[in-house]
Amino acid sequence: MAEEPQSVFQLPPSSAAGGEGLPEVSPEITTPEPPSSAAVSPGTEEPAGDTKKKIDILLKAVGDTPIMKTKKWAVERTRTIQGLIDFIKKFLKLVASEQLFIYVNQSFAPSPDQEVGTLYECFGSDGKLVLHYCKSQAWG
Amino acid sequence: MEEDEFIGEKTFQRCCAEFIKHSQQIGDSWEWRPSKDCSDGYMCKIHFQIKNEPVMSHPGTSTHGQTCLPMEEAFELPSDDCEVIEAPAASQVIKYEYHVLYSCSYQVPVLYFRASFLDGRPLTLKDIWEGVHEFYKTRLLQGPWDTITQQEHPILGQPFFVLHPCKTNEFMTPVLKNSRKINKNVNYITSWLSIVGPVVGLNLPLSYAKATSQDE
Repeated sequence: MAEEPQSVFQLPPSSAAGGEGLPEVSPEITTPEPPSSAAVSPGTEEPAGDTKKKIDILLKAVGDTPIMKTKKWAVERTRTIQGLIDFIKKFLKLVASEQLFIYVNQSFAPSPDQEVGTLYECFGSDGKLVLHYCKSQAWG
Repeated sequence: MEEDEFIGEKTFQRCCAEFIKHSQQIGDSWEWRPSKDCSDGYMCKIHFQIKNEPVMSHPGTSTHGQTCLPMEEAFELPSDDCEVIEAPAASQVIKYEYHVLYSCSYQVPVLYFRASFLDGRPLTLKDIWEGVHEFYKTRLLQGPWDTITQQEHPILGQPFFVLHPCKTNEFMTPVLKNSRKINKNVNYITSWLSIVGPVVGLNLPLSYAKATSQDE
């Protein structure tokens, strides 16, 4: 919605089920460390972000994919990859037949139901999660 | 002048071996099955799933955490925290079998799969299409035969469903090119399977993504 360049944009509320109003719980099974409300969790590589509801995501384009003007977004932890993809597609005005993939570690596509909060726990560093996105005409 | 990124059969086998190595570390139950003359083979995984139970919207259930677990464990998840405490009827359990083979003609890996109820009744192609993740359904329904077809398994000779490989290079090439730019070691099989798997209900635990970079 906001068009002025800012360093961090807030992702609009997810319209998908489960996106809003969920308690701030990290899936216990997936994170290497148990969720803690303390400022520092022992052993984590990245600085403490456990208590924040939103995480910072940096989006990077791959291949011929259009580059988003705004690359840095604050996203609720419970937003799924599917929700994020839908958002980027709208933002880039992709047509429905174009598929968008998101990667962590520049090589691995998390499944659509994966929550970005979990990805942040596993792959975040320097207080943000870097995600690469790539447009493809291939089957959806 | 590199256009599409293909992989040779040797690379395919090496990537599968690395993939399986990690699978063994996390108990994900992928295994390699050589063909009769052992000249080639394929990767194989079996998992069980409850049909038509999306396992969502139960507070306290770490649904999203399941994607990091081997699929067998997802089936056995204790129902302590679940609101619905009832054992699934046997008729509701589906056995999925996923095979990763190498296609010489396309020079890419191909995902074969089949599904059946516990009494042996196979799922139909229509059941399969209906089971495709909602996220991919629209595209699938636009051209289902372009995407999932039924073919004879090249090694077993039995009918399997196949995710058509003709577009594999289209989505793999940018990923590989990008990682090559930064000299990053990418396991083709891991990347590829992470992309195609979810279309047919196969979700790779996130630890595979980390395993790749640790191999560098």
